[in-house]
Amino acid sequence: MRCGLLVAVLAVATGPTALRSQDSTAPAPGGVRVGITYSPGTRPSVAVLPASMATAVLDSVRTILQRDLDYSDRFEVVYPPSAVTVPGGAPNYAALTSLGTDLAVAFVAAAGAEQGGEIEIQLHDVRTGSIKNRLSLRLPGGAGEALRRAVHRASDEVVRWVTGAPGIAATAILFVADGRLWRVDPDGEGRVGVPAAGRPALSPAWSPDGRTIAYTAFVPSGRPLVLQDLASGSREIVPGTEYGVNITPEFSPDGRALAYAHGDENGTDVYRYDVARRCCVTRLTVGRYYDNLSPTWSPDGRRLSFISTRAGSPQLYVMSADGSGQEALARFDYGSTGQTNGPEWSPDGQSIAFHREVGGVPELFVLDLATRAVRQITGEGRNEDPTWAPDGRHLAFVSSRSGTRQLWIVDLETGRMRPIVTTGGARLPAWSPRRTFSSEAG
Amino acid sequence: MMANLWRTAGPAMVLLAAACGKPAAPAPTTPAPTPAQSQAARATADSAAAAHAAAARRDSLAAQVRADSLVRADSLARADRERTRADSVRLQVQRQSADTAPPAIAGGLALADSTALADPIHFDYDKSEVGAADQPRLDRKLAILGAHPRLEIRIAGNCDERGSDEYNLALGERRAAAAKRYLVAHGIAAGRIDIVSYGKEHPLDAGHSEDAWSRNRRDDFVVTRGAN
Repeated sequence: MRCGLLVAVLAVATGPTALRSQDSTAPAPGGVRVGITYSPGTRPSVAVLPASMATAVLDSVRTILQRDLDYSDRFEVVYPPSAVTVPGGAPNYAALTSLGTDLAVAFVAAAGAEQGGEIEIQLHDVRTGSIKNRLSLRLPGGAGEALRRAVHRASDEVVRWVTGAPGIAATAILFVADGRLWRVDPDGEGRVGVPAAGRPALSPAWSPDGRTIAYTAFVPSGRPLVLQDLASGSREIVPGTEYGVNITPEFSPDGRALAYAHGDENGTDVYRYDVARRCCVTRLTVGRYYDNLSPTWSPDGRRLSFISTRAGSPQLYVMSADGSGQEALARFDYGSTGQTNGPEWSPDGQSIAFHREVGGVPELFVLDLATRAVRQITGEGRNEDPTWAPDGRHLAFVSSRSGTRQLWIVDLETGRMRPIVTTGGARLPAWSPRRTFSSEAG
Repeated sequence: MMANLWRTAGPAMVLLAAACGKPAAPAPTTPAPTPAQSQAARATADSAAAAHAAAARRDSLAAQVRADSLVRADSLARADRERTRADSVRLQVQRQSADTAPPAIAGGLALADSTALADPIHFDYDKSEVGAADQPRLDRKLAILGAHPRLEIRIAGNCDERGSDEYNLALGERRAAAAKRYLVAHGIAAGRIDIVSYGKEHPLDAGHSEDAWSRNRRDDFVVTRGAN
């Protein structure tokens, strides 16, 4: 960066307590946790210090950073009074410490940064009074979509510095409202329509590279599955889905296959289509007048969980990816087990989220695969169709708790819930992979 | 209804209609083929046409899928309102046509036949079996389809608002398939009946009562070809 820097501080500092990574209880396969650790039951507090200059763009950068760190649910975001955060000055470590602040995020902007210049984002350890990490961020001109995306990526990096795993701000959620497809950022901003074939278009799913989506299109002569390139909008129909009802697509973790359910006069069954070779549809279940649907892949691609009505009401099952070894997965509840639907395998492979009816009302559950125990997550209103964030601790879902069907996000670690799409009628959310926007970064 | 059918159907219909009361028994002049016979006949007759139809269907689908369903960010709330109104209007129109529509001829079909063909059948919650009370409704459709061999129909399975969006699409398909199976088992060529599922996307009654739910758990029957 050149001279003439104006100091703003985005400070994140280590906490006074003995810290241990929250992720250490559930390490990702092969993952190595670095950075600050903290004890269960505590989390680091962070202050995002104001930019040196009060410009609209820099103010919005600060606001976006604050909100992203807040919505990561890994920090307590503190808002120090302006006397403590003199714009342009070095962080007042003593004053921040007295406010219980562990970390501070500061940003240093060159003059004219809002016209497409660079800012430096610094993570300060307030306790030791030092800068732990820094990154340069080139701001796109203006205050629109591109700026928000750039800042989301930076805040995901700040989360990675502290916890060892990146945040989820630079992701997106596809959903259905009014029969159409929409995309929204997890902070509730940037909602935009995705032109789709058919209406309604249902059950959108992301490819692992975030470039392709699959969904069910209601067109006059059928219910085909459509593969759609997000950038170009070009579409193709999955072979064999010209007939019958074709629903609940999900890409395999390597993106080479698509599992889905095809229903016709003989019932509904799970199939696999070889997307990579654009050929070869394989039938994985053989029902007879009953339904098998909603396949969801384990992260290693070796197994599929799915819903089957083979024993009466829809319940959760699992099989190998070739269709062998089919068995019931969830234990039955005491009394009668409600209809179970909408399963999605967690990114860490250890659990499956789904909804199950309790007294006729769907509620979210998470099944722990090691113990096969289920844990009820919600209990207020109808709660349906959970989808995992790439961090494996947040779920987006549909809830009627406020009166109409809206999209909500729950953090499974803290239990915190917040609405993200408050327009009524939102449903069938699908959370994007992390890689979605990496291609846009350049 | 039955009287209407008899008046308008003519002598040929009488025989078929008489068979309606005992759907499993073959009519005297046109014995229903055994399942094996009808399957073989269908296979031969359908194979050439099926290949052609499949190609046409793929082309048509490809065109439908190319067309955008464009969205604008500000259109959501308005669309919500419009849909609510449209649902309410549709419900009114359907009630009116069922209760007070004047006699008329739809295509080449007598009104009574059109009405009987369109008469929906209903299902228990989360079930897809055709109930005993609805078998006479299907038997009347059998008679009409038998008397009008060029008629082709589409059966659309529908569900109430309970249960998941996706599961209800499978359930709706099963409901449509159940009615088709009944008609085909009683001699109607499978190629004349198309099935489709609407899941819970097309409720007839927008209410949230047991009454509304039972009205919405239904198969609709629509003539797609050969009405005139």
